[in-house]
Amino acid sequence: MSGREAEVPTRVLVLWCPDWPVVVFGIDPDEPAVVTEAGQVLAATAAARSLGVRRGQRIRDAQRRCPTLTVLDADPTAEVRCFEQVVALVEEDCPRVEVVRPGLAAMSVRGPARYFGGEQAVALRIRSTVADQGYVCATGVADGTFAATLAARLPPGGIVIPPGETAQFLAPQPVSVLDRPDLAAVLTRLGIRTLGAFAALPDGDVLTRFGPDGALAHRLARGRNARPPATRLPGEDLSVSVAFDPPRDAEPVVFAARGLAERLHTGLAMHGVACEQVAIEVVTEDGRSRSRLWRHAGLLSAAAVAERVRWQLDAWRAGGSSDGSTPSGAVAVLRLVPDQLVPGDGRQGALWGRSATDERVDRAVTRIQAMLGHTAVSRPLLAGGRGPAERVLRVPWGDHAEPRYPADRPWPGQVPAPAPVVVPTDPLPVEVTDADGKPVTVSARCVVSAPPSAITGLPGNDRRPASVRSWAGPWPAVERWWDAAAGRRLARFQVTTDDDRAWLLLVEAGSWQVEAGYD
Amino acid sequence: MLPALRPLLTGLRRGQVVAVPGEPGNGGSRSGVLPWALAAQACIDGSWCAAVGLPEAGVLAAADLGVDPDRLILVDEPQERWADVVAALLAAVDVLLVRPPRRPATGLVRRLAGLARQHGSVLVSVGDWEGASVRLQVTEATWTGVGAGHGRLAGRRARVEVRGRGADARGRSAWLWLPGPDGQVTAIGPQDAPGTPPTYAEQNTSLRLEAAG
Repeated sequence: MSGREAEVPTRVLVLWCPDWPVVVFGIDPDEPAVVTEAGQVLAATAAARSLGVRRGQRIRDAQRRCPTLTVLDADPTAEVRCFEQVVALVEEDCPRVEVVRPGLAAMSVRGPARYFGGEQAVALRIRSTVADQGYVCATGVADGTFAATLAARLPPGGIVIPPGETAQFLAPQPVSVLDRPDLAAVLTRLGIRTLGAFAALPDGDVLTRFGPDGALAHRLARGRNARPPATRLPGEDLSVSVAFDPPRDAEPVVFAARGLAERLHTGLAMHGVACEQVAIEVVTEDGRSRSRLWRHAGLLSAAAVAERVRWQLDAWRAGGSSDGSTPSGAVAVLRLVPDQLVPGDGRQGALWGRSATDERVDRAVTRIQAMLGHTAVSRPLLAGGRGPAERVLRVPWGDHAEPRYPADRPWPGQVPAPAPVVVPTDPLPVEVTDADGKPVTVSARCVVSAPPSAITGLPGNDRRPASVRSWAGPWPAVERWWDAAAGRRLARFQVTTDDDRAWLLLVEAGSWQVEAGYD
Repeated sequence: MLPALRPLLTGLRRGQVVAVPGEPGNGGSRSGVLPWALAAQACIDGSWCAAVGLPEAGVLAAADLGVDPDRLILVDEPQERWADVVAALLAAVDVLLVRPPRRPATGLVRRLAGLARQHGSVLVSVGDWEGASVRLQVTEATWTGVGAGHGRLAGRRARVEVRGRGADARGRSAWLWLPGPDGQVTAIGPQDAPGTPPTYAEQNTSLRLEAAG
């Protein structure tokens, strides 16, 4: 039956570069290092792993296991840029490489296998190509991307699962490989510990108990495609494109990409389909065309697609093309092509169900970012802390950030309300003197040497000393004494000057600063 | 939203330009939380607010007044593109705080005011704005709460003067807590106001306010 045959996935080769976020920093695997995101370990070197550092650990836990650990912040742009070089080389042997994420790429292996004489030969060829670039990689071949990814993780350097044996290969794997922790927890409690046992459950029961996402996992466990292919008449072109006349450089293209992605999503939604992948095609002004596939799975918002266009252009400009020539920066045509259409299950609704105002604000901000750069527009994020400067973080618009210290904890010694209205980006150094003109000091036991009488260096005063009308303090704060780098010992004062202005002063290691102004 | 401002302003209309000139030559300093109080006044639930050219803005103080920090956009250094930035934001947000550069071109200022009118957004200028329909200024202020080595800042009593066009042209003034002990802006009864005794008109406004509240 043709319907059944269509459900067996095509032969896929997965190229996996382990620990990619760390690799791009060029760190020796024998050195313990981790790359972190939002306070958690994202990837670790082999040396760090052997000491018990794991993905998803908190930085603190990782450092406890390995005190000499080097901690780096994730750099997604560098990950894409470096991986792009790898993909460009692999693409010479295998067309249609799909980047699942930087460090993991999938490609159809049927054609290349016939050309190079077997899947094993293709895998070896790709491994040596990547090794020539100086990167460690593994390859796995199986029916479908999911099984091939698991096959790539097996030593040595991944294996080839013969056609039709994917289900047997998957059966003994633990349910945790589905990468759905909630589902795996429930299944384990039910006594279903392997994919084989999960696959043996009837389709209908899985759908009623675990919903569409559970059904999708069930199909993966049985070695099928994640979703049945869409039965849609071929020939309908859902791709969208925009031409630039005259050809434009990066920022306007990224800006246009966003609108284009919105059009793509609207078009897909009208046909009731979603795409598994989206191809970003760029034609440069010298007439050359380049394209790259990105995993979409109905999860990328318009902004996320635009982000990938930006990465793409950055990578191409930085890395040049595989034949050694640098493509001209100006883009003539940008096209987004949806690939592998599947029935839409309405997942987009939740992600795109924003009001028209929010979309309008987003568009205006994107335009300003295109003018001034990504970091020029920020949104405030309230965080925990004692001083007013620590309590507000400025996060570039579109970036996701979590405050390191949450605001909803008690902060004894916090500067009391009302909050100051002027918080300089950098504290301003000032001199505080007593009635005799001597500098005022605060002893270790928080005793003030003499009442402050004049302040020199206040903003708007041109080095003229302002005399102090009234003052309150010192309010000592000993912060993070357990951490030599972040620890602080300071005292705060509230002072009003005779020109009726109020200030928040801070004395740390004998020097005075204006931390904030109240008017 | 802030009843304390009611004796001063007949109301903020959408599309209006309000200037808070502050001290001459000092870029709107000394006006304190007044610009943010006006922004909070114009914000209703779900309104977006933006601040252009105010890198040292105390967001906490703004949040205390009722500006939603989750719907606040900050463009700290618009550099020479400030007019483009303001124009782009006027089309999107409901309230825009902007510190204009020292000497903006008259045509530009007029064009931006026109954009605000067209999109129905309130433009609050921190620093003078030529052709603003209303100007608010802090004329006197004293801080209370801090003594000689004790206490803490409790609030600032400030006299705010309004000049404007049309119904606001008369030039009224009122004593306000700017801000009060809880970071809010509230009216001060004439008996609490320091310095000169309030005029009859002011007593009248605050009495009316009490009757209304």
